[in-house]
Amino acid sequence: MKLQIDPKYDAFREEVRAWLKEALPADMAARTLQCYHTTIEDRRAWSKILAAKGWAGPAWPKQYGGPGWDEWQVMIFEEECYLAGTPMVDEAGFKLCAPVIWTFGTDEQKQRWLPPLLAGDQYWGQGFSEPNAGSDLASLSTRAVRDGDEYVINGTKIWTTDVHYADLIFCLVKTDPEAKQRGISFVIVDAKAPGVTIRPIIDIGEGHSLNEVFLDNVRIPADWLIGEENKGWGYGKLLLDNERAYSAEIPRNKRTLARLKKLAHETGMIEDEGFALRVAEAEADLSALEFMTLRAMAEKAGGTNFPVGSILKIRGSELLQKLGGLQVEALGPYGAVVYPHGATNDMPPGPAIGHGVLADFMYRRAVTIYGGSNEIQRTIIAKSYLEL
Amino acid sequence: MDFALDEMQTMIKDSVARWAEKEYDFETRRKLAVGNGFSEEHWRTFAEMGWLGAGLSEEDGGLGGGAEESAILAEEFGKVLLLEPYLPVAVLATQCLLGTGHAGARELVQAIAAGETRVVLAHEEVKAMGVLSHVSTSAGSDGSINGVKTLVIGAPFASKLIVSARTSGEARDQSGIALYLVAIDAPGVERKDYRLADGTRASEISFRGAKGELIAADGFAALDRGYAHALVNLAAEGVGAMERAMWITRDYIKTRKQFGRTLNEFQVLQHRMADMLTELEMTRSALYRALGQLDTDPAKRRLNLAALKVQLGKSARFVGAQAIQLHGGIGVTEEYSIGHYFKRLTFIDSVYGSGAQHLKILAKAIQAGN
Repeated sequence: MKLQIDPKYDAFREEVRAWLKEALPADMAARTLQCYHTTIEDRRAWSKILAAKGWAGPAWPKQYGGPGWDEWQVMIFEEECYLAGTPMVDEAGFKLCAPVIWTFGTDEQKQRWLPPLLAGDQYWGQGFSEPNAGSDLASLSTRAVRDGDEYVINGTKIWTTDVHYADLIFCLVKTDPEAKQRGISFVIVDAKAPGVTIRPIIDIGEGHSLNEVFLDNVRIPADWLIGEENKGWGYGKLLLDNERAYSAEIPRNKRTLARLKKLAHETGMIEDEGFALRVAEAEADLSALEFMTLRAMAEKAGGTNFPVGSILKIRGSELLQKLGGLQVEALGPYGAVVYPHGATNDMPPGPAIGHGVLADFMYRRAVTIYGGSNEIQRTIIAKSYLEL
Repeated sequence: MDFALDEMQTMIKDSVARWAEKEYDFETRRKLAVGNGFSEEHWRTFAEMGWLGAGLSEEDGGLGGGAEESAILAEEFGKVLLLEPYLPVAVLATQCLLGTGHAGARELVQAIAAGETRVVLAHEEVKAMGVLSHVSTSAGSDGSINGVKTLVIGAPFASKLIVSARTSGEARDQSGIALYLVAIDAPGVERKDYRLADGTRASEISFRGAKGELIAADGFAALDRGYAHALVNLAAEGVGAMERAMWITRDYIKTRKQFGRTLNEFQVLQHRMADMLTELEMTRSALYRALGQLDTDPAKRRLNLAALKVQLGKSARFVGAQAIQLHGGIGVTEEYSIGHYFKRLTFIDSVYGSGAQHLKILAKAIQAGN
């Protein structure tokens, strides 16, 4: 056990920070820091800037066009991006779908989908959840039936983030309705294909990022199935395991804390001792979670059954909600005012820095639900590690 | 950075665990706790095994380790709720002595590591309220000390005291604090011993013109270093105690039956235990962070340590309380182990500046724009 941090990471952070200062347009950063859902225009523009620098896929292996960073560098990069206010990029495509394609896909599939994703030319949506398969994802019922050189897909996907901007959707579908987890496959669907209908879902922050997707006799080529038929559950699980060290959303939490402090100093709320104590408590939480993330990165190599991903998920998501609540409080009476997305005039009243606080706070109720609800995570900890 | 234990660290951990299993079972400890709270035989073993110098370089009489090694040892001691003053002597006083840079102090460290003498730090005062620089005990120009020190843990078993005393300035100034070595039986030193909640022993010590040897004219940095090391070791002890309390509770609810089922089948209790593990691991993470940054500049270190103490206090109270709750009635009996974990964990929150007092340090830094 040696716990000193290698100074090379500080140097790396400086390098990223310096680049962001030059490359990120100020108006784009200002929009992002309001914390509304990113617009497609900002996302496209930023994706192109990242691609030109060669930093579009920070966690990608070098052979597929990644910069060859280690996990901690990836997190530092994301932290700096969040703090600077870069628009959200295609998270589903870069972090969830791409690793499945490069791990289980054929060379042809890799060629077909990885370069356009990296270049910022194609966008992806994720089709896992269904109206009747939320936490119990394995009970999904969307069917894919082989018909010659094609699969015919029928079913409904829900909570598909930003699929209204997407060109492609990666889905978990049933190819063997008799088996449960074993009958699931990982397929790619053209979002613009006949039979695909997208219905917007407006969240309680009055924003639109979520959708319901109806798949009605949608046809895909047979080689749009990744890996082997009926093995998709394992691919999905592997991908979530790969992501577990990032479960506490440290970059987003850091940005939220930084914004909270800025807000509270501007409104004067920070002078209130009781309020400052609660901010301090949240900060202590974040500093412990950050180090737990480093432990998760190290223990991944060790292959233990220690449920660090679940612990990170629970505490990271709860912290995000706590920080959001403190932001609303920091606004005092203006915490209750609705500022519509894109509002720029001086009505409704209140500090400009408060725009987006309430919308973000509302939407983030979802963080303790998605990615396996916190109740599911507690059960995982109890069963897998504590053997209860 | 590497979280896995190396060969020497594994050896330390295993040797303490083996000793504890053989010599420090719950009944043995309980007899010691209601006795005088200390065993000379145990202390000799600690010295022979090199544990008193686990965190010291070889030239200081140690095993060539550092803060990590000491913390590994403390975690194992925490699992069995060690009564002997390992932390006050081998960590707090030792690191404070090293922090003075005084030649005599350095020789004393070697004697402590060899088990030849025991020294504790007499620094806390009733009105300090968690402020490390609070010293109203005074030292005159002739070196005579006047004042009262409180909660001097381990003093009943010590032969010498390091006493902080003010030579100039106001009660909470960081400058003007001198450190003296005073023999425990020196004229003008009066000691009253008492028991703490967890069975360890402490003393109230008054000084009336007592004379000592000056080892630091400006000693705040040495105090700060001593308490920094003490705090991380306290956290390591806490992690050990929480972990053991958690597993004792886990084993208990797998056997205890109510309503025709063992308790572990109730989801509400499964989730409570998941929260206990989560709290414990939050402290372990904060501990690792503080350990890795123990040698950074003092201002940054203070904030890291404050964050650690906040987390430690919160976790210790939660895990201790839930460990009793999940046991039910037996948890509040003196003859069963889990209540004693609760006692130690409660004590851990309050000692060396409480969690609440450290939270104020963090809040003030945030208010100042940190």
